[in-house]
Amino acid sequence: MAPWLARLHDLNPRWLYLATGLLMIVPFVILIPMPAGTPSRATQGLYDAIESCPPDKVVWIDSSWDQGSRAENEAQLECVVRHLCRQHIRFVVTSVGITPFGPEFADRTIKPIAEKAGYVYGRDWVNTGFVQAPTPASLALIINGLARDFHSIRPADVHGTPIGDLPLMQKVRTIRDIHVIYAITYSPAQEWISFIKGQFGTPVAFGCMSIMAPSYYAFLDSGQLCGVLIGNRGAAQYEALIGRPSLGTRLSMAQSFGNAAIILAALVGNLGWWAARRARRKAP
Amino acid sequence: MTEPLAIWIGAIVTLAVFSYLARDNPFYRLVQQAALGAAVGIAIVVTWQQVLYPMWLTPIVKAFQGAADWKGALWLLALVPGSLWYFQLSKRWFWVSTLVTGLFVGVAAGLAFKNQVLLIMPQVGACLKPLDPWAGPEGFTWPALLDCLNNLLMLVGLLATLLYFFFSVKTDRRWLAGPMRFGRLMIMVALGAMFGNTVMTRMAYLIERLQFLYETWLRPLLTIHGS
Repeated sequence: MAPWLARLHDLNPRWLYLATGLLMIVPFVILIPMPAGTPSRATQGLYDAIESCPPDKVVWIDSSWDQGSRAENEAQLECVVRHLCRQHIRFVVTSVGITPFGPEFADRTIKPIAEKAGYVYGRDWVNTGFVQAPTPASLALIINGLARDFHSIRPADVHGTPIGDLPLMQKVRTIRDIHVIYAITYSPAQEWISFIKGQFGTPVAFGCMSIMAPSYYAFLDSGQLCGVLIGNRGAAQYEALIGRPSLGTRLSMAQSFGNAAIILAALVGNLGWWAARRARRKAP
Repeated sequence: MTEPLAIWIGAIVTLAVFSYLARDNPFYRLVQQAALGAAVGIAIVVTWQQVLYPMWLTPIVKAFQGAADWKGALWLLALVPGSLWYFQLSKRWFWVSTLVTGLFVGVAAGLAFKNQVLLIMPQVGACLKPLDPWAGPEGFTWPALLDCLNNLLMLVGLLATLLYFFFSVKTDRRWLAGPMRFGRLMIMVALGAMFGNTVMTRMAYLIERLQFLYETWLRPLLTIHGS
């Protein structure tokens, strides 16, 4: 048994960090085409819900994420906004409860896509800004309030313009004007399911970090959620569905490289451990 | 000039955080404390700008100026329950704060109950799935059989998992050992899936920072020096 193999067992983990980091940069340096895979039922559900949006209704996006969960939420918002713009579907953006930075991050992501698609702010889309909801109870009240009368909870948009002055918001007053709600954050609140889908029957979809995905599968199976975008993988699948690979696909590719690095490190570590044990047994 | 400066600050801060991987150091701790301070400071400003000023103060001021409906002035009443919270700071007058905490606990309990009913009841219904592959309108089909097997696995897994957490009767009977072990296996599968997703999320954080370092900070620098 080669002695260097046994030495792998004692390899300084910092080398592994460096190797993993370098490997994950590769997809950003060299464009490597990789298939996004078959869209999951969770991704397809959201896509179908948006495709079936009638012209007299709008999509409500709750974009409550900031730098803390940008790593996955940004791609999830980007791909859906692209789809909405392609289908000429109007949308209203809120940031309920989680972070006061939500409206700014939503604006930064949406504006370039919307402007490129010829969307006019106020006519085709509106960012209504942040609504404070520090506890689950207040979140439930706010969601309920928005569903019953949008204008009373958000009298002005993110720029301070009275909401009644915006042409789109003159047509959007209650949950009856909404076709589907898409809530994106680290871990979307279950209050969306109970107080929107449960009470009013309006379809709800989530965009969440991968870590939270197992919490939502049960709601997907029961039909309480019409779709869920799970991490960058979900965004990449969505981009494949709309036929426009973008941020989600690139990040997902880097993630595949990272996963490969971890698997490789586990294999090498185990091989080293096995070789070290063998060497110890042979030693006199 | 602000954009390149922001990028440089972002890059330096990111590298300072990554330096923790080598060893704990003052740069890392400085950045950590600064990030906490900045987040709290900015959150206060944004909350004032986006919530308190437009939604609370503006309707009151406009109502007093006569520029809007007088009902806007009613927002002043929010100060009463709001200020009651501060009685928690006094031992003597603590009881005053219980008026508002009682109200909030009552509202929260009511909403939580409604929330759970609306969440759980459809879940119970969704557990009742067909187990007969001949029951469909097209009679027996292979996909229907696979669906039924999937439903059966879900049902057995659900019952076994519930059994594992059933502490009301003695569960050390021999005939219960198998189902309980299966329940434990199901929990382990679920935890394994959660762990896999946890790795994915942590990786996504790292990738986002690496992307920033390479595409936003380093590549433009290399392009400038290359051209």
